[in-house]
Amino acid sequence: MGFRIGIDIGGTFTDFALLESSEVVLHKNLSTPEDRSIGVMRGLEQLARMQDVPLGDFLGKCDAIVHATTIADNTLIEMNGAVTGLITTEGFRDEIEYRRGFKESIWDVRLPPPQEITPRRRRLTVPERILFDGSVYTPLDENAVRECCRRLKKQGVESVAISLIFSFVNPAHETRVAEIVAQEMPGAHLSLSHRVLPRAPEYERTSTTVVDAYVAPRVTSYLERLVDRLKRAGYRNRLLVMQASGGVMTKEYIEGSPVRVLASGPAGGAVGSAHVGVAKGYPNLLCVDMGGTSYDISLVMNGAAPAETGWNMHHRYLVGVPMVKVETLGAGGGSICRVNNGALTVGPASAGAEPGPICYGRGGSEPTVTDALLMLGILSADSPFAGGSFSLKPEGVEAAFRRIGAEMGYGPEQAAFDSWRIVNANMTQAVRRTTAGKGIDPKDMVMLAFGGNGPVFAAVQAEDLGIERVLVPKASPAFSALGTLAARLSIDEERSYIAPADTLDTGRLRSLWSELDRRARGFFADAGISPEKVTAQYQMKMRYPGQNWSLTFDAAINSGLGDLAFVDEIVTGSRAAESFNQRHMEEYGHIREGETPEVTGVRLVAYVEMPAPAVRRGFSAPKVAARATRTRRANLGRGFEETAVFRSSELRPGHEIVGPAIIEETFTTIVIYPGWRAHVDDAGDYELTRTG
Amino acid sequence: MSFELNEKLAARRPPLPTAATVDPVTASIIRGALETACFESCEHLARAASSAIINQSNERNASLIDAHGRLAAVAIGTPHLTFVSQLPIRYGLMMLEEFDWGPGDVFVGNDPDHGGGHLPDYLVYAPAYDDSGELILIQVLQAHQGDTGGKDPGGFTLEATDIFTEGLAIPCLKLLHRGEKRRDVIKLLERNNRFPSFAGDLAAMISGVQRGVTMVEQAIRKWGPNVIKAAINHNIEHTERCLRAEIAEWRDGTYEADVFVDHDTQGLKDVKVHVACTVKGDQLTVDLTGSDDRPELVGVWNTFGNTRSYVMTQVTASVDPSIVKNEGLFNAVDIIVPRNTILQPPPNKPAALGSFHPAVEIIEAVCVALAAVVPARSCPQVYKIGMPNAVIGQDEKGRMWLDQGVDARSMDSSAVQGIDGWGSSCVGLGNLLLAQAEDAESRFPVINLSREMTTDAGGAGQWRGQPGSLNVKKVLQPTSAMAWMVSAEHPLRGLRGGDDAGPYSNRFEVGTEREYKVGLSVYARLPAGAVIAYQHGGGGGFGPPLLRDPEAVKNDVLDEKVSLAAARDKYGVVLTGTLENYDLEVDFAATEALRHAMRAAGTSQAA
Repeated sequence: MGFRIGIDIGGTFTDFALLESSEVVLHKNLSTPEDRSIGVMRGLEQLARMQDVPLGDFLGKCDAIVHATTIADNTLIEMNGAVTGLITTEGFRDEIEYRRGFKESIWDVRLPPPQEITPRRRRLTVPERILFDGSVYTPLDENAVRECCRRLKKQGVESVAISLIFSFVNPAHETRVAEIVAQEMPGAHLSLSHRVLPRAPEYERTSTTVVDAYVAPRVTSYLERLVDRLKRAGYRNRLLVMQASGGVMTKEYIEGSPVRVLASGPAGGAVGSAHVGVAKGYPNLLCVDMGGTSYDISLVMNGAAPAETGWNMHHRYLVGVPMVKVETLGAGGGSICRVNNGALTVGPASAGAEPGPICYGRGGSEPTVTDALLMLGILSADSPFAGGSFSLKPEGVEAAFRRIGAEMGYGPEQAAFDSWRIVNANMTQAVRRTTAGKGIDPKDMVMLAFGGNGPVFAAVQAEDLGIERVLVPKASPAFSALGTLAARLSIDEERSYIAPADTLDTGRLRSLWSELDRRARGFFADAGISPEKVTAQYQMKMRYPGQNWSLTFDAAINSGLGDLAFVDEIVTGSRAAESFNQRHMEEYGHIREGETPEVTGVRLVAYVEMPAPAVRRGFSAPKVAARATRTRRANLGRGFEETAVFRSSELRPGHEIVGPAIIEETFTTIVIYPGWRAHVDDAGDYELTRTG
Repeated sequence: MSFELNEKLAARRPPLPTAATVDPVTASIIRGALETACFESCEHLARAASSAIINQSNERNASLIDAHGRLAAVAIGTPHLTFVSQLPIRYGLMMLEEFDWGPGDVFVGNDPDHGGGHLPDYLVYAPAYDDSGELILIQVLQAHQGDTGGKDPGGFTLEATDIFTEGLAIPCLKLLHRGEKRRDVIKLLERNNRFPSFAGDLAAMISGVQRGVTMVEQAIRKWGPNVIKAAINHNIEHTERCLRAEIAEWRDGTYEADVFVDHDTQGLKDVKVHVACTVKGDQLTVDLTGSDDRPELVGVWNTFGNTRSYVMTQVTASVDPSIVKNEGLFNAVDIIVPRNTILQPPPNKPAALGSFHPAVEIIEAVCVALAAVVPARSCPQVYKIGMPNAVIGQDEKGRMWLDQGVDARSMDSSAVQGIDGWGSSCVGLGNLLLAQAEDAESRFPVINLSREMTTDAGGAGQWRGQPGSLNVKKVLQPTSAMAWMVSAEHPLRGLRGGDDAGPYSNRFEVGTEREYKVGLSVYARLPAGAVIAYQHGGGGGFGPPLLRDPEAVKNDVLDEKVSLAAARDKYGVVLTGTLENYDLEVDFAATEALRHAMRAAGTSQAA
C-alpha cells in the first residue's frame, strides 16, 4: 500500500498528515494566501524529503490526497467572489434580502447589513410559476430570460444563480432558463437551485444557490490549479476533497456544487475526533478546538459526527447543505481583554496573528488570553513557542493588565486571572448552548481537546461541565488534517417530497430514490468504486403538520446501491409514521397521538469507508510516575505556586502526572489542573481524569 | 384587578436579602449560567412546539424572575415580549400562600388585568427552590398561542368591547402540583381552544420550563443560594448604573412627541399617544400623560404591562446594546402611565389588538422624542401593520386551517443615522422567521403571487428607509379573511428631517369588478380565486434627503428602490444615462444647482 496524505489549509498554517500503512507523520508549514496551492506543494516537498525520495517518486506512490480547504470560507469572509447575478420567479426578487426577517442582533439598531452578493440590480425575475404539485401555473417567458441575460451581461456578471419557486418539484423551467443563459452568456458559471439544494423553502434554497454561484469560480479554479500542480509533480490519482458534511468526494463531484466545501476544515476535526474516540472506546465526545481566534465546539454521538441541514448561518449567509454542526465562539489565544461599562470582557474581538498578543512582540498593545496565560505562568517566555518558531516576550504585558486592574480595583495578576476565568466561563456556557435542546447532558460525554489552546483550558471546562475524562491526542495540533484521512468517501443528497404519511405515493418515492441512486452510482464509478461496495443509507425526513424542522431517520441501510425493495414496505402499513414517532420520542420526549405526520423529503447517504489511520488504545505500559525536571511559578486556579513542568520529549507511554502540572508539547501546552491527573497511553496520547 | 393592583405590581422591588457578597466576575459568570438556562428552555420549546408561530416564527421568550418579582435574566424572543414578563409573575407571587406554591409546581397566566399582555401571550412559569426550600427564582416561558377560545379564531375580534369576547383570561392557574399534572385543568384549557396543536404547545411549554428549573436549581446548588442572590442583586444594580451613566450623557430637557393611530376598529379617528421624555441628570422620566382617553374607543386598548414593556423596548434600543437586560432598566427609568387611557385602561377592556396599536405608537413616540438627544441610536422598533391578512378556511374533513399571513415581506425597516434601512423589519423583530411560499402552499390552498419591494415606498432621507413590499396572494378555495388597516394616514415617522415611510394599503378581490380597498377593517368571505394585495409601509428616512450622497441615490435608482423621478423630486439628484442600460451617472453640477433651488424654494426640508 502506498501513501495517503491529509491536508488542511488554515489561515496561518497548512497542516499535513502522512499515512503509510498505519504510521502517521505530521507536518506544518505557513500558508501562502496569494496562491494556497504553493504552500501545499511546499509541504509535500518537505514530506518527500522526510521520506528521502524525490517529490515525483513520492507522489507517484500516493494512493490518495485528501484535502480540506478554507478557500470558500475565505471568499465569504473577504467578499471577493465572482460578480454574481440571480434569476428568480417574478414576485420573489427580494427573498434573499429579507432573509425571512432574520437579523443577528435584536438589541443593536446599528447592526449593519451583510454585504450583498446580489444587489437588487443583479436580482432579476422572469414570469413563470410552478405549483407545489409540480404543475405549471404560469409558463416560462423565454424572452424575459433573454432580457435578464442582456441586463446581467451589461453589469459584467460572471456567475449566475437560478432559483425558481418549486423548481425542486419540477425543474423544467429552471433547466430551460439555464439553457438560455448558457447560450446568451457563454463562459458564465451557472448554479441551479434544484441541483444545489433541492428542497423547500425558497429562502434557504436561493441563499445556498447564490453562495454557491459566488464561491464556485474561485473554488473551481483553485482546485484546477492544485490538480494541475499535483499532476505535473507526478501525482496520478484523484484529488479528494473534504465536504462540510464530513465526507470526502472527488473534485469532479465538488465542482458540481462547490458550496459543499464550506467549513470543511472544522468538519475534518470532528471526523478525526469521531475516529479517535471510537477507537479508544469513547463513542460520545464533546470536541473542543481552540486556536488563535475561535473556539469551535462539535459533538460526536454514537461514534459519528452528524451533519445537519437546518438553519446554518455561515458568514451571514444561510447555507443549507449538510454540515457537521460546529458552533464557533469568538474565544482564542488572541481574544482581547477589555473593561466595558465596569465589566471585564474577553473577546470576541481578536488581535489575530498580526499584530497578535502583546507577548508576540509584533506591536500588539491590547492584552489577550495568551498574554494572560503568560502572566499566570501557564506559558513561559523561557520555553519555545509554536514549534520553536519564536519565543514569547513579557515586555508590556504586566503594564496592560495593570491598566485593566486599575479599572476593576485590583492588581495585574488578579486582572489576568479574572480574564482566564471569564474566557473559561464563556466557553463553558457556549458548550451548554450547543447541547441545549438536544437532551444531551455534557456529564455523559468525554471531552476531546485539540488546537493550539484547546488543551490549555480543557480540564477546567470539563470540571465545570461535570465531565470526568479528557483526551488530548498527540496529533492535536494537526488534527483536522488527520481527520480528512479518517473520512468516508460519501455523497449526501436529498429530494423534496411533501405528503401526509397516510397517502404516500410509492412510485414517486421510488423515482426520487432511484434518481439519487443513479447520481451516486455515477460519481462512485468515476472514483473507481463499484456500486456493490457502497453502503446506501436511505433516509426519510418527516414532521408533524405545523412543525418547521423535520427529523431524519433511516428507512433502510443496504450494502450496495440499487435495491429499492424497502420502499413498498414503508408505504404499506404505517411503518414510516411509526419510525418517525420513535425518533420524535427520542428527540423531544413526546409524540402527538392521533396526528398524521407528513413526509418532507427523502435522502440518500451513500458512502464507502477509506483506509484510516490506526489508533492505538489502552495502557499496556506499566504505570510510572513521571518526574519533573523543572518547575515554575504558575496560577492554575488556586493562586500562584511552584508548578511542575514537563517537556513532551521526556514522556513515554505509561507515564502518569498528577496535577498541578504543565506539559509543553511542540505546538501546544497541556495543563493538568489540581484535582486532575494525566496518563500517557500506548499511542502517546494523553488521557486526563479527575483524581477525586 | 384595578389601577391599585397595577400600581402594586409595578412598584419598585428591593434587592434580595443576603449578607453574601460577590465579585463582579463571579456575578457575570452566574448571569451567563442563568441566561443559558433561559436559552435551553426556549430551545426546548422551539423544537417541541407544534404551531408555526412558535417553532417557525420564534414568537417566544424565556426569562428568569427572582423571588421579589424582578427580571433577573432573559434570552431570545423579542424585546417587546421580554419586558412584559415580570408583572404576571408578581401577581402569582402575591398569591403564593393562597395558591400553595411549592417545588414541582407549574403555573400559567395570560390576564391583561393581572399584569399580562394580550390573551394569546401565555406565560408558563415554575419556581426554583434551594435545598432548604427557599424560593429563589422563577423560570418563565412566553409564547403566542394560535387561539384563545374567544369569539373569533386566533383571538382577535375587531368589534370586541370586553375581554370576555376575546377568550379565556387566566390570572394564575396551577398546571402541575408538586410535579403532578392536573389533568382536569389541562383538559379545561384544551377544551377552550380551537387549535388542535394547542395541547402540544402547552405540553412543550411545561416541559420547557421544567428543563429551565432543573438547570437553575443546579446553579443554585453549585454556587449556593446566597451567592446567587448576591449575583442577581449585583447584576441588577450594575445595569441600573450603566443605563444611568448613558442617560447622564444626554442633554437635560423635556422632549415631547405625538404619534397617532389612524382610527380605532370602528372608525373613530386619530387615536393619540403623547409622550414627554424628561432627562434630568441621570434620571429619565417617560410620561405618557395626555394620551387618548376616549371611553368609546374600540380595539385600541393596550394593557398596562404592555405599555411599560414597549417604553422599555425603545429605551433599550437607544443605548449601548451590550447593557445587560434585567430589572435595573426599570429601576433607572420612571414610567408614568395615566389611568383610564388607552395605555392603562380600566378593567375588562379587550386587549388583543391594543398590543399592536397603540402599543407600537408608544415605541414610535419615545423614539421621535429621544431622537433629539440620541440621534445615533434612534430607530423605531415597531410593526406598523394593523394586522396581516390572515386567511382562514376548512379542509375537506372540516378541520380549520389558518394561514396567518406572516409572510416574507418588507415593512417598517427605518434608517438609522449612517445606515440605510435594510432587510425585512427592525432589529427587534430579528428573531422572528417569516413564512415561506413553498411551505405555506404545500399546506394551504393559496398561491403567493408576489412580495417584492415597491419602488419609492420607503421614506427618503440622508439615510433611506427600506421600501415596503406589496404582498399579493390568491386563495384557491372560498375562505374568510380579516383585516384592520392603520398607518395609511399616519405612516411611520421619519426622523431628524427624514421623510415618513409610505402608507399601508390593502385591496381585496383585486382585478375583479368587486375589487375594493379596505379602508378600516373587514371580515370578508372571499370566493375561490380571489386575490388580496397588501402594500406594507416601508421604513422612515433619517436626515434631510437633500443631504444624501448623490452616488447613493444613483445606486438606489439602479436597484429600483428609488425612481428616477423621486431621485430628482425628493433628493434633488440629476442623473444622466438610463436605467435600462445601467449607465446612470450623477450630473454633479446640475444636482448642486437643483438642490440649491429646492432649498431656496423650501420644497424639501433642508439641513
